[in-house]
Amino acid sequence: MADTLDSAPSPYRGLTFVWILTVLALFPILVILGFFLRALQADYMTKLRPEWFYAVMTLHGLGMVGTWYVGSMAGVSYLLSRYVKPSVVISRIAFGATLLGVVLLLACTLIGRLGVGWYFLYPLPLHSKGVWPAWATAAFLGSLGVFGVGWTIWSLDLLRAIAQRYSFSAAMAWHYLRGKQNPEVPPLVLIVTVSMVSSLAGFVAAVVLLVLYVLELLGGFNNDALLMKNLTFFFGHVLVNITMYLGVAVVYELLPAYAGRPWKTNKIMALAWNTVLFLVMFAYLHHLYMDFAQPQWLQYLGQISSYLISVPAAVVSIFGALLLVYRSRMRWNLVSLLMCFGVMGWAIGGVAAVIDSTVAVNLRFHNTLWVPAHFHTYYLMGVVLMILAFAYYLGEQGSGIAERQGLTKLIVALIVLGGYGFLMMFYYGGAHSVPRRYAHYPEEVSQGIGQARVALVFISLLLVGLALYLWETARRCFKALSASSASS
Amino acid sequence: MRWSLDSFCRTVTLLLALVARGFAQGGTSDAVGLPDEARYLNNALPDIRVQTIERPDLRLSDLWGDQPVLLTMVFARCAGICSPFLRSLKSTVDRVGGLGLDYRVVVLSFDPKDSPADMASLARHLGIPSDGNWVFGTSEPAQVQRVAAGMGFWFTWNAEREQFDHPAMIAGVRHGQILRLLIGGTVAPVRLREVVDELNGGFVKAYPLPGKALFRCFQYDPATQKYRPDWGFLLLFLPGSVALFGTFWIFRTARR
Repeated sequence: MADTLDSAPSPYRGLTFVWILTVLALFPILVILGFFLRALQADYMTKLRPEWFYAVMTLHGLGMVGTWYVGSMAGVSYLLSRYVKPSVVISRIAFGATLLGVVLLLACTLIGRLGVGWYFLYPLPLHSKGVWPAWATAAFLGSLGVFGVGWTIWSLDLLRAIAQRYSFSAAMAWHYLRGKQNPEVPPLVLIVTVSMVSSLAGFVAAVVLLVLYVLELLGGFNNDALLMKNLTFFFGHVLVNITMYLGVAVVYELLPAYAGRPWKTNKIMALAWNTVLFLVMFAYLHHLYMDFAQPQWLQYLGQISSYLISVPAAVVSIFGALLLVYRSRMRWNLVSLLMCFGVMGWAIGGVAAVIDSTVAVNLRFHNTLWVPAHFHTYYLMGVVLMILAFAYYLGEQGSGIAERQGLTKLIVALIVLGGYGFLMMFYYGGAHSVPRRYAHYPEEVSQGIGQARVALVFISLLLVGLALYLWETARRCFKALSASSASS
Repeated sequence: MRWSLDSFCRTVTLLLALVARGFAQGGTSDAVGLPDEARYLNNALPDIRVQTIERPDLRLSDLWGDQPVLLTMVFARCAGICSPFLRSLKSTVDRVGGLGLDYRVVVLSFDPKDSPADMASLARHLGIPSDGNWVFGTSEPAQVQRVAAGMGFWFTWNAEREQFDHPAMIAGVRHGQILRLLIGGTVAPVRLREVVDELNGGFVKAYPLPGKALFRCFQYDPATQKYRPDWGFLLLFLPGSVALFGTFWIFRTARR
């Protein structure tokens, strides 16, 4: 565990700046798209066709998921380079694939107006009914394929890098389970190993899914909708979970430096993250509670897995973070504040997720605004804050620009107030049965219009906070980058 | 590097073109002209007059009033699917049982040239007794057209072959409303049992739609009312297995 801040530039440094600046450029655009979606729901653009809502929703959803996945991967790759040697070339290939995928995604949504949502549930992409052209679906599947290839190679490379220093049992910290402390394995290595194995499984599911789509298009037969839905959520749920775990891995690695205490792997942590590797493969089943064709034993498995998975990863990490900070000589700045608020958001979103993963509750909350409420909580107020913390940390190292405490407090206050205010409107709407994915609310659920209007105020606050954050972070990143280039 | 980038771009373009071509050809089941069951479920069928050789003035409601009905449409001169289809239906009805108790079968001609006698002759040819549980009849062309439209059935005259083009299908009807469509020239006992169960108030959780599915996740067995995993279920184990074996291989072959 590296308990001091970076002193030597990593060969990864320049490329990580490119990744992070790309993420920081995409994020406000995607937030503005989210603002647009809520503005439509607030009835401010009544003349705009609903197809635009679904096309923008697809871009916003897939864009956010992809952006934060690559952001978290860039973060852990950089931090992992303290212990092992990930390939810079592979990271560049992943960057190229990501850019190509983004271009295809922009084309199919903004030009083709493809509106399948980021989960593209079968058979919707194949039945546009004239709303979007055939090429848009082809481009969409192509973008997923390109993302998948680039990110799979990246995941394999991180595993290769870890494997060159640690055996599999060591990387999985199995010796801690037997009471041994040597070799010392940083939590970052353990979490990244678990996450990369899981993400590989998710990407294989995506490959099977895409192959079945293409076979249906070329072969003239139908696919089994239940099989396609299982594969879709296996891929999607794992990808989102892994993004969160990678964000948490960044916290495990960076927070100790600010708390002035080490955060080392121990038996409980090893057990927790090994359990995650098993449970993460089954937790997605809670997305299929309302599919009565799914056998009951799988529904039980989904309920049990969804409950259990919150214990090892979330509870162990959250209590670990609390213990680390408790009575420590914490150095509070934008990095440590964002990380702590990120862990808090993860906890709150996790509780909301556990509530929704209860079958009896899901019966009421399924497809209401509660669903976007919980995943926006652990994304926007969870992993996003963790990666924003990393981005600021990266810029902070080597830029030499002093932090202004007042501005830091203002940024954090605006982001937290704007973020939770925006989320509260989702939760309130969900608890009052306002459905999700409606471009315009009909009279029966017209209360959603008012909630969307209030949400817009909070999103505006969030955007102001974000603009200040971006200014502060970007100027540090550019200065650190130029200093790094000059020294090399 | 430039060559490989060009190759990569060309490959991606080719793949996109192939997939787009698949769309242009309409590679889904919509293309084969079979009715989409979801569009016809709960449709109320018109209560038309039907003539049989025994009862020249019958209404469909006389038949579905006290018992659910399996309604199918054929024509007596058919040199194609009609006879094999009716034989398959008879054989399956004999296997599944319940005829006369749980349902009756109505075979309606859509050919204006068919008479009740032609239909009775067809029944005799297939070895089907005229005991009231099988009803072979005709109706006015306009009335037949209404029923056909209500259940998604279509027929077009092919002058060259002097035959009608048409699908083979059965509508499960309870109190005049369509509960299920069974589409295809061969009637599988497992599917007919589902329809009969549903016509008699049972809840069938899942059943396959017409068209060839490459892999199914689960198959529902209406006889035992249980699901059993099918080949597609194995695909759900593939991601985890590939990831684990791949990881073991990476760690095993890595040079430390």
